Amino acid sequence: MKPDYNISQEALEHIERYINKTMTLEESAAFEKKLESNLDFKKQVEDIETILLGIETQALKEKLEEFHNELPETDIPSKEPSKLKYLNFTKLVAAAAILIAAGSFWYFSESSNTNLYSKFYTPDPGLPTTMSTTDDFTFYDAMVNYKRKDYMLALSKWESLLKNKPENDTLNYFIGSAYLAKGDENQAIPYLLLVSQNEKSIFKNEAFYYLGLAYLKAENIELAKKNLKFSTMDNSKDILSELED
Amino acid sequence: MKNHLKTDTDNTQIIELIKINDEGVLKTLYHSNFPKIEAFILKNNGTKDHAKDIFQEAFIAVWKNVKANKYTPQNNHTLNGYLYTISKNKWMDYLRSKHHKKTVVTSKLNHFEISDKDLQDKHDDILKENRLQDVMQAFKNLGLPCKNLLTKFYFEKKSMNTIAEEMQLDAASTRNKKYRCMQKLRELALKDN
Repeated sequence: MKPDYNISQEALEHIERYINKTMTLEESAAFEKKLESNLDFKKQVEDIETILLGIETQALKEKLEEFHNELPETDIPSKEPSKLKYLNFTKLVAAAAILIAAGSFWYFSESSNTNLYSKFYTPDPGLPTTMSTTDDFTFYDAMVNYKRKDYMLALSKWESLLKNKPENDTLNYFIGSAYLAKGDENQAIPYLLLVSQNEKSIFKNEAFYYLGLAYLKAENIELAKKNLKFSTMDNSKDILSELED
Repeated sequence: MKNHLKTDTDNTQIIELIKINDEGVLKTLYHSNFPKIEAFILKNNGTKDHAKDIFQEAFIAVWKNVKANKYTPQNNHTLNGYLYTISKNKWMDYLRSKHHKKTVVTSKLNHFEISDKDLQDKHDDILKENRLQDVMQAFKNLGLPCKNLLTKFYFEKKSMNTIAEEMQLDAASTRNKKYRCMQKLRELALKDN
């Protein structure tokens, strides 16, 4: 009944890679086969899943305490009519919606005013990973890695796809985004440039924006401005106006 | 590949960001929903402490469902509504339970006679839940260096390389450190049993 709690580093990492979906297709197929045939192994995997969930849940719980302590003081006069409170709430919701829509840029902005790049840069959040067609499997598989900030792994998968479709704007855009996210703006620029020059691409606008940021990071202010001007993203204007100052 | 990609991004983005525990999104979700639920609980015979406990329980329940793909909100409004409904139900349950004293103590459930598969499944669920609570308790009391490392890894979902850089260690020692922290946590969680 009790799973075996003794486990080697390799075995633990192997199971974690399955849980975090960072296995190659072959590996996860073999893994699932073992899960089906070996009950003890299955118990062990389930136990590790529980441990990981426990860590995450407790960490979240402690985060919630922090959030709670940061709540804005809204209710000092506790006999305030409740209508007023409700109004405040709707305002808060509206503000929250805007914040979320803006892609939570603002949370990264506290550090320093001088560093525009780190103020405005937040990685493209990536695409929803609902495995729709088998065709795109590797693409979305890499997207999962990208969202988990494992940019190297994502890049290796996307770059292998790019060999067959060198012009594909989606691939170029996310390869550029991944390089930029891992702090390699010079590698990112050629990919983003390609997308920004593609008239038909739905990523054109974002590509200009991130290209602008990449140049900003590379301290090429002229090119940064030029590209940001082509982008209609809200933040572009903000960065431009700060650059003019 | 192009056409079906960038649709519904705002909502799915929030879900994806919740799944990777994006601090900004979680905080906004917390701050924008708490006042409404607090008002509800205060109006219904609760205290501020009740409001905080109930809301946090509901928040974790919503987060778990989002993570397990059990809930996919159509837009931000329904996610807020969902959080509100769960909080409300939890508060109603609490009010009811005060009048009917609890008759079942979870620790007694471990001595169930197992008669059929249903019961076995329930038994497994309870064991799993107990185990989860043990792990959470153990993690709470884990030494700070391990706690920080495991938080970076499993909650903030940073990559091994990033964490190694932050700790100014090479990747292999970071991996080994993480492994030893996991062992420590598992030992601690077993002791509580």
